[in-house]
Amino acid sequence: MREDRGSHEATNIWSGILNVRSSIRCVGLCIALCGLAGPAAGDASDEQGRTITVATWGGPYERSQVKAYFEPFTKATDIRVRTVRYEGGLSELRQQLGTGEITWDVVDMTMADNRAACRQGLLEPIDHAILLPGTDGVPADEDFLDGALTECGVSQIVYAMVTAFNRDAFPGERPARIEDIFDVKRFPGKRALQKAPAANLEWALVSYGVPREDLYELLSTERGLRLAFRKLDRIRDHVIWWTSIDEPVDLLVSGKVAIASQFNGRLFDAAVVHGHPIEIIWDAQLYEFGTWGVTRGSPRRKEALEFIRFATGTGPLADQAGYISYGPTRHSSTRLVSTHAEIGVDMRPHLPTSSANFRTAILKDTEWYASLHDRIVARFDAWLGQSETNHTDQATTDAVAEGQDDRSD
Amino acid sequence: MDTLSDTLSRIVSIALLGAVTGALASLAAIGFVELIAALNDWLFISPRSRFMVDNARWLVVATVGVPAAGGLIVGIIHRYNPDRRSHGPPDIIQAVQGLEPRIPLRSGFLSAMASMVSLGAGASVGQYGPLTHLGATLGSLVAGCARNTRWMVTVGVGCGVAAAISTAFNAPIAGIVFAHEVILRHYSLRAFAPITVAATVGYVLANMVFERPPLFRLETVDASSAPEFVGFVAIGVCGALVAVVYMRAILCSARLARKVPVPDFLKPMLAGAALGLAALWIPDVLGLGKETLRFAVIDQAFGAGELLVLVVAKILATAMCLGFGFAGGVFSPALLIGVLFGALAGNGAEVILGELHSEIAVYAICGMVAVTSAVIGAPLTTILIVFELTRNYDLATAAMVSVVFSNLVSYRIFGRSLFDVQLRMRGFDLADGRHKAILDQRLVEDYVSLDYTALSPDAPLDEAKSRLLEADRHEGYVVDANGIYLGTVTLAELELSPAGDARGPKVTVGQLARPEPLILTAKTTVWHAMEQMGDFVGESIPVLEAGGDGRLLGVVFEATVVKAYLDTTNRIRKEENAGG
Repeated sequence: MREDRGSHEATNIWSGILNVRSSIRCVGLCIALCGLAGPAAGDASDEQGRTITVATWGGPYERSQVKAYFEPFTKATDIRVRTVRYEGGLSELRQQLGTGEITWDVVDMTMADNRAACRQGLLEPIDHAILLPGTDGVPADEDFLDGALTECGVSQIVYAMVTAFNRDAFPGERPARIEDIFDVKRFPGKRALQKAPAANLEWALVSYGVPREDLYELLSTERGLRLAFRKLDRIRDHVIWWTSIDEPVDLLVSGKVAIASQFNGRLFDAAVVHGHPIEIIWDAQLYEFGTWGVTRGSPRRKEALEFIRFATGTGPLADQAGYISYGPTRHSSTRLVSTHAEIGVDMRPHLPTSSANFRTAILKDTEWYASLHDRIVARFDAWLGQSETNHTDQATTDAVAEGQDDRSD
Repeated sequence: MDTLSDTLSRIVSIALLGAVTGALASLAAIGFVELIAALNDWLFISPRSRFMVDNARWLVVATVGVPAAGGLIVGIIHRYNPDRRSHGPPDIIQAVQGLEPRIPLRSGFLSAMASMVSLGAGASVGQYGPLTHLGATLGSLVAGCARNTRWMVTVGVGCGVAAAISTAFNAPIAGIVFAHEVILRHYSLRAFAPITVAATVGYVLANMVFERPPLFRLETVDASSAPEFVGFVAIGVCGALVAVVYMRAILCSARLARKVPVPDFLKPMLAGAALGLAALWIPDVLGLGKETLRFAVIDQAFGAGELLVLVVAKILATAMCLGFGFAGGVFSPALLIGVLFGALAGNGAEVILGELHSEIAVYAICGMVAVTSAVIGAPLTTILIVFELTRNYDLATAAMVSVVFSNLVSYRIFGRSLFDVQLRMRGFDLADGRHKAILDQRLVEDYVSLDYTALSPDAPLDEAKSRLLEADRHEGYVVDANGIYLGTVTLAELELSPAGDARGPKVTVGQLARPEPLILTAKTTVWHAMEQMGDFVGESIPVLEAGGDGRLLGVVFEATVVKAYLDTTNRIRKEENAGG
C-alpha cells in the first residue's frame, strides 16, 4: 500500500511534466490523435493481434512518441499502434488483470510505478536479451544507462529535476554548482523549491561533498538527515516552497525568485522556446526514467515485446529527443541526437543525458522513496513546521498540473 | 629437451597457480562481501534497512536479538573447529613462517562461515582478516592440487592473500605488498611473479568485471601546506597510542572473557546482546560502520565530542566482540576508529592552527592509516591503499608521514603488530627472526637418541669402566631401577678413582656420579638448547622427561642440535632466496 501512495505522488508529477498543454488544447490534440489512431482501432477487429494498445500520457510528449516510435514501427512491421490515455498509477492494470479483460498491451510508466507493478505481478518480466544492440555494436545491457533496465521494464527517456536561475538576477558571478544555491551571501535572492523532500534532501547532502553514489545510504542515517536539514536551515528564510509544477517558471520569469527547482523539460521550454533569460544548473541533476512495461497476460505479448525492441533501438530513442528535451536512455542514441525537428535548435546541450550535463547526475532512488514515502514526507513536514510562518505565501494547489501552460510547440 | 619442457611446465604451473588462486580468492572475496551486505540488509543491521523499518519496537527487538542470535550460531560453529576458535591472519603468518604453510581446509572454511555469521549479524569485527584467511585457504588448496611442495603452497597462500586484499580494496599493488610485508616477510623474485598475477586477476575481477565500489570516495583534496606536516607527524604518534589502546583492549577482553563463568559457546551470544543494547544508543557500533566511515571524511559531519564518544565506543565494542569469541578481523574496526580519530585530530588542528589549509578528509585519512598500520604492522601496504584508492599523490605523502611515525612508536611500546603479539602469546615469537621462532617450536624430544650407556648406581667401577670401553664411549649415565637419572661418570674419572683397591670400602659409580652441568628436558626447545649449549663440553647431553621426577629419556648430541639449527636456516634461506 505504501508503494501505491509513493507511485501516486510520482504519477502526479509525471503527468505534470508531460501534460504541458492547457486542458482545452489537450482535448484538441486528443481529437487529432484519435484521428490518427482511428483507422488502427478499426483494423483491430479485422486483424486481431496485429494491433497493439499502448497506454501513454498524451500531449506533445505522446506526439513525440508517435513521430519517433509508433509511425516508424507500423511502417517497419505492419503492426499498428493504438494509444489510450494513461494518468499513472496501477489501478487500470489491476482492474484489467482482475477482470481478465486485458486491453492494454504496453504501458509507459514512471520507474517507481513500473517497479511497484512488477512486484505486484501486474507486468510481464522482460528478458533484456531481446533488446537490440546499439548501432555501434555495443550490447544493449552496456549501451543503456545504469539502472535503466529492470525486471519488468525497459526505460526509454530520462527526465531530471534541476535548479535554474534567472540570468538577470546575477549580473556578476553566476551560480554553477549545487552548493551555490545554499550560499545566499554569494548568490542572494529568493529560491523556489518544491515543497517535498525529494531533490532538496539530495542537494543539501551533496553540497557537503558527499559522493552521489553514497547519497541514499547516508540519507538513511539520522546523521545524514540532520546534516541535510542543517544545510536547508541556512536558506529556509529565503525559500518560497512551490507545490504546483506551473509555479517555478513563473516565479523565475517574474523575478520573484532568483533560483528555482524544476523539471528540465519545462525549463527548456521557457528558456529556448520562449527565450526567457533562464539558465539551468545541471550540477547534481536528479534524474528519473520513463519506462515501458508489458501488461501481464497480454494476448499480444509477442507484438508488445517486438514494439519495445523496436522503440528502444538507438535510432528511435535518438529521434524522440528531436521533439522533446528528454534524454534517450542509450549512450549510442545520445551521440546521435541533433536538432529539434521544428524549431531547429541543437538539442544536445539541453538533454539531461548529454555528457557535460550528466557528469554529476544523481539517479533518484525510487526504491528508497517508495519504501518510506510517508515517513520521509513527515520528517520534511516536521522540519518545515519548525520555521516561522513567513512561508504561508506558498501555493497550495495540487501537484497535478492541470493549470495554465502557455507552451507552444 | 627434457630440461626445456621441465622449465616450461614449471613456468606455466606457477603462472597458473597465480591466475587460478587469484580468480578463486577474488570471487570468494566478492561473494563474501556481497553476502555480508545482503545479510546486513535482511537482518536490519545496515542503516538503510533500519531506516525502512516503521515499527520502533520491532527495531529494538532486532537490534538486540540479531547480534545475540548471530553470537549463538558462531559459538556453535566454533565447537566444530579443531581448536574451538576461528582462524585469521596470525594463523596464516604462523603457518607460512613456521615452514608448514598448508592451511587446514576444515578450519579455513569453518572460520569463514563463523566470520560470515558474525559480520552478517552486525558484530563489531572486521571483514578483511577473514577475507585474507579464506584467500590463503584457497591458495593452499590450489597449490596442493598442483604440486604439493612446501614452496608451492607458500606461494599459493601468498597469492590467495594478495588477491583477497587486491579485491577488497581495489588496490592490486597493496595486495602484492601485503602478501610480502605481512605474510611472507621476505622478497623473492620467483614468488613475486605469481603473487602479482593473482593480485591483478583480483583487481580485474573486482574493478572491471563486477565493478565493486571503492571503500570510500573522496572529492578532490587540496595539497597540504608545510606547517601541517607537523600535524601529520603528531597524528602518527597519537594514532599509535590509539592503536595500542585498541590492541590492548582486545587482548584484555580475551583475558576477561576466560574468567567469565559461562560455557564458551554462549559467550559470543552475551557479547552480541550487549552490543545490541549499546547500538540502541550508538548505532554506529553495529557492523562494519561503512556509513560512519564515509561521514568522517566530510567536513562538519561530526562534532568533536561526538567523535570522541564514537572512538571510545568502537574500541570497546570491537574488543568485546573479539574477546568474547565473535569471529572476524581487526582491520575494518581499526579503519573506522582511525578515521574518526583523524577527524578529531583535524578538529584539534583547527583550534591550534586556525583556518586549515587541508580539508578534514586529509586529517581523517592520516588518522586512519596511522591506526591501521600500527595494528596490522604493514606501513607500506597502508600507504599504498591510500594511494591506490584515491590516486592522490599529495594525500599519500601526508599519509606516509603519519604511518611511519605511528609504526615507530607502536613498535617500541607494543610490538610489530597485533598479529605478532598474539603469536608471541602462543609461543611463536617472530621478534628475533624467523629461525628463532621455528626452532622455538621444535622440541628436543624429537632429537633424543638412545645411544648411551646406562649404569646402575651400585655397579662397581671396574664393570663400569669395561662397559664404557666396550661401547667406545667416554660417558656413562647413572640411572636407578626406576629410570631416574642420578648423574654422569666419565671414563677419565673412573680411571683416576681408587676403585681398584680391594681393601678399602667398595666404591660404586653411584658415589662417583655427578649431575651434568647441562641437563635438558623433553620439552626444551631446540632454540633454548642451542643457547645453553654455548659453554657445554662433553659427549652428549642427558634429556629427562618433562615435569616428571627426573626419569632419563635419552641423550642428545651437540652435533644433532647444531644440525637441526643448520637445517632450519638452510630451509629458510632456500625458500627466501631461490625457492624449491
